[in-house]
Amino acid sequence: MEDNSLNMQNGGQMGPQGGSVGNNKQNDEINPKSQYSIPGILHFIQHEWARFELERSQWEVDRAELQARIAFLQGERKGQENLKNDLVRRIKMLEYALKQERAKFHKLKYGTELQQGDMKPPVIDESSESQLDSDQSFVSVSNSTWKQGRQLLRQYLQEIGYTDRIIDVRSTRVRALLGLNNNNADQEDNQNGGGLNANESNKRASETQGRRTPAKKAQPSSLAEAMMLDTEAAVMANLEFLSNTDVDMDDDDDMNDDADIEPGDEIEDDVKMGKKDKMDNDLGLGDDVDAIALEVFNELNRLSEAEKKQDIKTEQGKRAIGINDEDNVDSSLGLGELAQLTVNNDAESTYDIASSKEAFRKTWNAKYTLRSHFDAVRALAFHPTEPVLITASEDHTLKLWNLQKTVPAKKSASLDVEPLYTFRSHTGPVLCLAISGTGEHCYSGGLDGIINCWNVPNSNIDPYDLYEPDILNANLHGHSDAVWGLAVLNSKQYLLSCSADKTVKLWAPHAKQQLLSTYVSEQDGIPSSVDFVRDEPNRIVASYFSLNCVIFDTETGKPVARLESTAADGVNSTARQINKIVCHPTLPLTITAHEDRHIRFWDNHTGKMVHSMVAHLDAVTSLAVDPNGLYLLSGSHDCSIRLWHLDNKTCVQEITAHRKKFDESILDVAFHPSRPYIASAGADGLAKVFV
Amino acid sequence: MSKMKMADGSTILRRNRPGTKAKDFCRWPDEPFEEMDSTLAVQQYIQQLIRRDPNNIDLILKMPESQDEGVWKYEHLRQFCMELNGLAVRLQGECHPETCTQMTATEQWIFLCAAHKTPKECPAIDYTRHTLDGAACLLNSNKYFPSRVSIKESSVAKLGSVCRRVYRIFSHAYFHHRSIFDEFETETCLCKRFTQFVTKYNLMSKDNLIVPILEEENTPGESEA
Repeated sequence: MEDNSLNMQNGGQMGPQGGSVGNNKQNDEINPKSQYSIPGILHFIQHEWARFELERSQWEVDRAELQARIAFLQGERKGQENLKNDLVRRIKMLEYALKQERAKFHKLKYGTELQQGDMKPPVIDESSESQLDSDQSFVSVSNSTWKQGRQLLRQYLQEIGYTDRIIDVRSTRVRALLGLNNNNADQEDNQNGGGLNANESNKRASETQGRRTPAKKAQPSSLAEAMMLDTEAAVMANLEFLSNTDVDMDDDDDMNDDADIEPGDEIEDDVKMGKKDKMDNDLGLGDDVDAIALEVFNELNRLSEAEKKQDIKTEQGKRAIGINDEDNVDSSLGLGELAQLTVNNDAESTYDIASSKEAFRKTWNAKYTLRSHFDAVRALAFHPTEPVLITASEDHTLKLWNLQKTVPAKKSASLDVEPLYTFRSHTGPVLCLAISGTGEHCYSGGLDGIINCWNVPNSNIDPYDLYEPDILNANLHGHSDAVWGLAVLNSKQYLLSCSADKTVKLWAPHAKQQLLSTYVSEQDGIPSSVDFVRDEPNRIVASYFSLNCVIFDTETGKPVARLESTAADGVNSTARQINKIVCHPTLPLTITAHEDRHIRFWDNHTGKMVHSMVAHLDAVTSLAVDPNGLYLLSGSHDCSIRLWHLDNKTCVQEITAHRKKFDESILDVAFHPSRPYIASAGADGLAKVFV
Repeated sequence: MSKMKMADGSTILRRNRPGTKAKDFCRWPDEPFEEMDSTLAVQQYIQQLIRRDPNNIDLILKMPESQDEGVWKYEHLRQFCMELNGLAVRLQGECHPETCTQMTATEQWIFLCAAHKTPKECPAIDYTRHTLDGAACLLNSNKYFPSRVSIKESSVAKLGSVCRRVYRIFSHAYFHHRSIFDEFETETCLCKRFTQFVTKYNLMSKDNLIVPILEEENTPGESEA
C-alpha cells in the first residue's frame, strides 16, 4: 500500500520516463529497488508513521471502549447496591410497621403492651457509605486516565484528518454499543445541567453519587440550610408505607436538586451581592473594611491633636465628677476593637478620656443586618454590657441576637446575624421594649395591652433548644389598650409604661405588688411616650397627644411641671404629635421628637423650650442619647438616622438605613450602653447595627 | 410618595403613631396596589386585603396582573408564617412536652424536626417553634431571598418544603388541640387560606393536606400508589 502511493508519487514525478501508470506499478512490484528520491523517502516515512498512528489510535479506541464498559458495569453495580440498600430500608420499615401492628393487635386482644424489644423506628444505615466512597475514588481515577486517553485519541484523529463529525459518529457507535443511547436524554434531565461531561457512563456513576451528596451535606453551616437539607425523615407506622414511598422519593429528588443547583446558586448569588453592594453604596449604606481602617487612622491622628483633647477635657470638667470613672471603664472595657487599636496610649490617662470620647466622634458604618422578622421592627434595646440586643416586631415576636454569632458572610462587608431566641407570647404586634440594667430581664409592651416580663436567655443558647416556659417571667395586666412606651429605672428596678388607655403606670415587676401607681392627665389625653427624669430619680415625664409634656412626682403622684408648647390653634395636632420623649442622662434636659420633623429641647426646671430645630425631612420617630450624654441619635420616616452633637446641636452624620412600608420607615434607634454600637429598627422588618 | 390628597386638602399618612388605640391600628383607607411604590408593596397589599376581610380568601389569593408569581407566593408564605405565630402562642399554653412528646397529626406519622443537624423527634411544641424559627431564617436568608421584588427560580422551589413543614402545625393543632384550632381558625381562617393557597399554587400534594378544611376535601388516608 505504501509502495503503491510511493509509486504514485514517483509516477507523477517521473511520468515521462516510465510510460503509463499501470505499467509502472507492475514494474515497481517486481522491482521495489527502483529509483529513490529524498522527497519520496520522506514521504514514505511520513506515511509509515501515519499508519502506525492510525493503528495506535484504533487500539486506543478499543481500549476506551473496554474501559467504558468497565465503568458502565461498575455504575451498574453501584446502582444495584443502591437498590439493595433501598430494599433493606423498606424491609426494615415493613418490619417496624409489622411490629407496630402486632403490638396494636396484642393490645387490643389482651389489653397489655407487647414486649418485643426494640420498637424504635428503623434508622437507615449509612455505613455502606464509606465503602461506596472508596469505590467511587477508584472510578474517578480510571475515569481520569480514560479521559486523558480520549483526549489523546482525539488529537491523533484530528492529525490524520478525522473531522469532529467522524469522531461524533464514532462516539455514537460506542454509545450504541453500550446501549446507553436511550438513557442519555433522561439523565441529562436528571442532572439538571449538572456537568458537561461528555462521558456517558461517568454520568451514570455521578448520578448515583448524587444520591449520596445530601447525606454528606447534612452538616449544614447555617440553620437556613439545615431547613433545606433536612432529610424529611417522617416515619410511617403502618402498612400504607408502600403506597406512600413515592412521597419519600420525591423528597430525595428534592434534595438532589438542591445539591445539584448549589454551585450555580453560589455564583448567581455572588453576582447579586455585588450588584447590591453597589446599590447600597449609592444609598450611602455601603460599609467596608477599608473605611473602618481609615477610621481608626483618623482617630489616631485626632488623638495627637492637642487642641481637641483640650476641648474634651474642659467639657469633662464641666460635667459631674462621677463620669470620669465611667469613661475609664468605657475605654478599658467597652470599646472593643478600638480599645485594642489605641492600646499604646493607655499609659497616659489623659488619652483614655480622649479616646473614649473619640469613639463617638467617629463615622458610623453599617455592619450587621438583623433579618428574621416578618414585619416591621417596632423597638430594639441593647444588653447593658454584652454585644447582644433584642428586637420587638409587629410579627408578634421578640428576638434575641448575639452580634458575635454571625453567619459567615460572602463578599459583602455587612454581616448577617441569626437570632438566638424568639420570644412568643404577645397576641398582636409588639410595640415597645426595655432591658433591665443587669441584662437579666426584658420587658415588652404590645398592642394586646399586656406587658410581658421575660428572663433573657443566655446569649450563647442554642437557637433550637427545648422550649422553656419560664423564660416568660410574668405578665403585667393593667392596661386596657395598646402599650406604646416603656422605660426602666435601674436603681430601683422600676418599670414605667404608657398606654392608649390614657394612663401612665409605674410598676415594680419583680415585687409582689407589681403595680405601684397610675398617672393620668385628663386635660392632655393619651400619652405617646414616657421616660424617667434621669437626674431626679423620683420624677417621670410623659408626652401627650395635647402636645404637652407633664413631669410627675412618683411619690405624690402629682404633676410638678409642664412642658407646654404654644400650639397654634387650628393646626391638626396629630401633624405635630410627640412621637418620643427622652431625658438627658445627667442634665435637667428633656428632648422630644415630633411628627412635624422637629426635635425640641426643654428645660425641666423652668418648663421652657430651650431649642427647636427641623431635624429631618419627615416625621421624627425615635431618639436616643448616648450614655455619656454628648450625642443624640434620631430616626425618622425619611428613612434616615442622624447623629447630633448635643453641645451645638449640629448634625454629625446621616445614614440612610431602611426602606418604607406604607408611610413608615425607621421606628426606633438605640445606643449600646457600654460598647460602640448603635442600631436602628425599620418598618421593612430589618434591624441594623452600626459600628 | 404614597400620599393621597383628601377632599379637605390634608394628606393621608398611613402610619401607626405612638398612642394609637388598638382598634385604630392600621385602620387607614386602602391604597390601590398600583399606587404602592414601595419595595414592600406586595406585603402591604396582602396585609391590606387580610385586614379588610380575612374570610375573603379568593380575593386575598387573587394575584394582581403583571405581578411576579414567585414574589407573590413568597410574600404570602411570609404572611402565613407570621400569622402562625398566633397559633404557636396558643399552643404554648396547652401543648406541653409531657403530653405531646412527638409531633404527630394522625397516628400514621411522626414528624422529625428538621432544624437540627440530625433530624430528631422533638416534642410537638418544640417542633412548632423550631419550624417557625427555621422558616423565618430561611425566608429572610440573604442567600436565598436577597430581594423582595424578584426571586430566583431555585429559591422559589424552596417554598414547597416550608409549606409542607408549617402545615404540620395546623394538622397537629387540628388533631390534638381541636378547641385551640377552631378558635384560631374562626378568628383568622388561616388554615383554610393556607390550604387554598398551596392547592392553587401546587405547593403541596393533596395527600398531605389532612385537615378536612375545604368542603370538597375528601377523607385522607387511602392514597394512590
